Amino acid sequence: MKKSIEELMALIDLIPDEPAKVGEFILPELMAIAIAHQVRNDDIVFAGTGLPMVGIMTANLTVAPNALLIYEAGICDGKTMHVPMSVCDQRAANMSSTLGGLVDTFGYYLQQHFVTLGFLGGAAIDKYGGVNVTSIGDYYSPQNRFTGSGGNSDIGTMSHRVAYIILQEKRRFLEKNDYTTTPGWYCTDWKDGKWKPKKEVWAGTPFAESGPCAVVSNFATYGFDDEGMMYLDTTHPGVSVDQVKDNCGFDLNVSRLKGETAHPTYRELFVLREFVDAELIFLPQKVEYPPEIQKIIDG
Amino acid sequence: MPRLREKTKKAEILSLEEAVKRYVKDGQVIAFSGFTGFNRNPVALTWEAIRQGRKDFHVLDRHGSCSSWLLNAVGAMKIYETDWMGWGEMAGKLDINLNKRYQRGEVILEDYSHGAIAMRFLAGAIGAPFIPYYAPLGSDLYDDKYDALGKAGLRDGKHPKISKKKYIQMDEPFWGDGQVMLLPAARPDIALIHVAQCGEKGTARWRGIGTIDKELVFACDKVIITCEEIVPESELRKEPNLNQIPYFTVDAIVECPYGGYPSAVPFYYDYDAPFMRGMDAASRNEDDMKKWVDEWIYGPATWNDLIVKVGAKRLLELKADSTTGYSTRILRGKKPAPRVTMPLSVARSGY
Repeated sequence: MKKSIEELMALIDLIPDEPAKVGEFILPELMAIAIAHQVRNDDIVFAGTGLPMVGIMTANLTVAPNALLIYEAGICDGKTMHVPMSVCDQRAANMSSTLGGLVDTFGYYLQQHFVTLGFLGGAAIDKYGGVNVTSIGDYYSPQNRFTGSGGNSDIGTMSHRVAYIILQEKRRFLEKNDYTTTPGWYCTDWKDGKWKPKKEVWAGTPFAESGPCAVVSNFATYGFDDEGMMYLDTTHPGVSVDQVKDNCGFDLNVSRLKGETAHPTYRELFVLREFVDAELIFLPQKVEYPPEIQKIIDG
Repeated sequence: MPRLREKTKKAEILSLEEAVKRYVKDGQVIAFSGFTGFNRNPVALTWEAIRQGRKDFHVLDRHGSCSSWLLNAVGAMKIYETDWMGWGEMAGKLDINLNKRYQRGEVILEDYSHGAIAMRFLAGAIGAPFIPYYAPLGSDLYDDKYDALGKAGLRDGKHPKISKKKYIQMDEPFWGDGQVMLLPAARPDIALIHVAQCGEKGTARWRGIGTIDKELVFACDKVIITCEEIVPESELRKEPNLNQIPYFTVDAIVECPYGGYPSAVPFYYDYDAPFMRGMDAASRNEDDMKKWVDEWIYGPATWNDLIVKVGAKRLLELKADSTTGYSTRILRGKKPAPRVTMPLSVARSGY
């Protein structure tokens, strides 16, 4: 017998908040939860469409219930009941505090430096966290042309902390991007054309100390050191350090590796599957629970 | 060159055909309402413009939409000043036709960022010639060699709608707040706007997010509004705080039910994600694309016929709930939407 949402909601606290075992979750779930773990309870979060949005919504229902979610199209603190397919989806606007427009989100919230965490995607990233979502190859006759900045370069430079979710391949984790859409901790100062620390280019603005703090890929998670350089933080279950290095185009610092990426807990998986993406829009397939968890759900 | 805006406009109620015939011209700088392909796109207006053979548009818009997608499906866009050449987010990210045309050199693409375009429209709306904005300092968006309109020789001051520079980086002169970008105001020729309700005089209202439509209306020289329904001005004036567009900015009003389809009009109908995925799929193959264009752009005799072709079954699935403003009957993913009465986050931890 299928349970109503109310009945499922009553079960959340009965599901153990213990790490699930390898094989009981799929990679997109691990990545969504890794995103959720970046969110702090007092964060004002500005997230892009896709897995970032799913991760942030999961955080809001688990580790960071008081985090405030901003959606690009003008939504402040939406309380969603159904997963949005776009940052302008009426589902994202449900029971929000206020509804404005782009001038609100990019001006009043972002440029005023209210946003503490930005969560974004990217096509390629350099070792300082600079992101390319524009083009690979020559700009005017590109091998690959992507959508272009959208809000990436605004949110990625003006949020206190910024995290990215990126598909990892050697040609996507680079010493230097073909095109830097969103500067990381190093960028070009167009006044003299020199490649400099972001702190110098942005000196005097409120955003000089704001920038990348984490990257989640399909192999691992990464942090940034005091020089703004990316380092390996955790590897996903079953992934070796060599595998990570083989899929990285720059000399990666692996000396600070903490261990394995935290597995999602059964409770986090339950929230993600039954509430955040109950319609299976982002997650590719339905995944079975282990028998002891299914027993709790079936009552 | 300065713009003279002293005249109060007197909006006329026109048919879709007549409004396009009178106001939409080849080569105009044009902007669309809504947000990406999902929310309040002026689809009927764009569709009608294409059917009347209008072409060579310079679209100045913060991102793609169903409208920009239609223009590229028939090759009617020449210049795209934008920040995101996607159109459908989770239903079809990159506009395949636009990408193909760009690679063939048929479209000039000028990249900005989302916030930068929003600020440019704000400047256009408040009559400021330019606006300072911080982001994204240090980005290749502000590398001189990537100024596509400049490279094409269009920043020579002879094009009244194209600014003489893409940006100017300067030291902030008043407070010593570092370096800042000056961005030129957006001043398009025409705004195509789709809203929920419009009074017979032109006062207009939508529900849901505002995107940048109010700024658009003030930044553009001409404004055409299509609406789900024309309602008495007297009704809209009972609660004027809910209205966003003042009548004196509007040139033409068209009553056009489902005029935003397949994008959503909150509290009227939801977006048609399966249909949008079909658009994306068609654009991946030349033959399929041609068939799609013949079937959906040139096939129906009128916009009403197109909506009849979509069919009552689909429209019933898309009909928005009066409480949430969206539909829970349309199958968007691999499972149907659950019935929910209270957001889980609120139930667990309040506001």
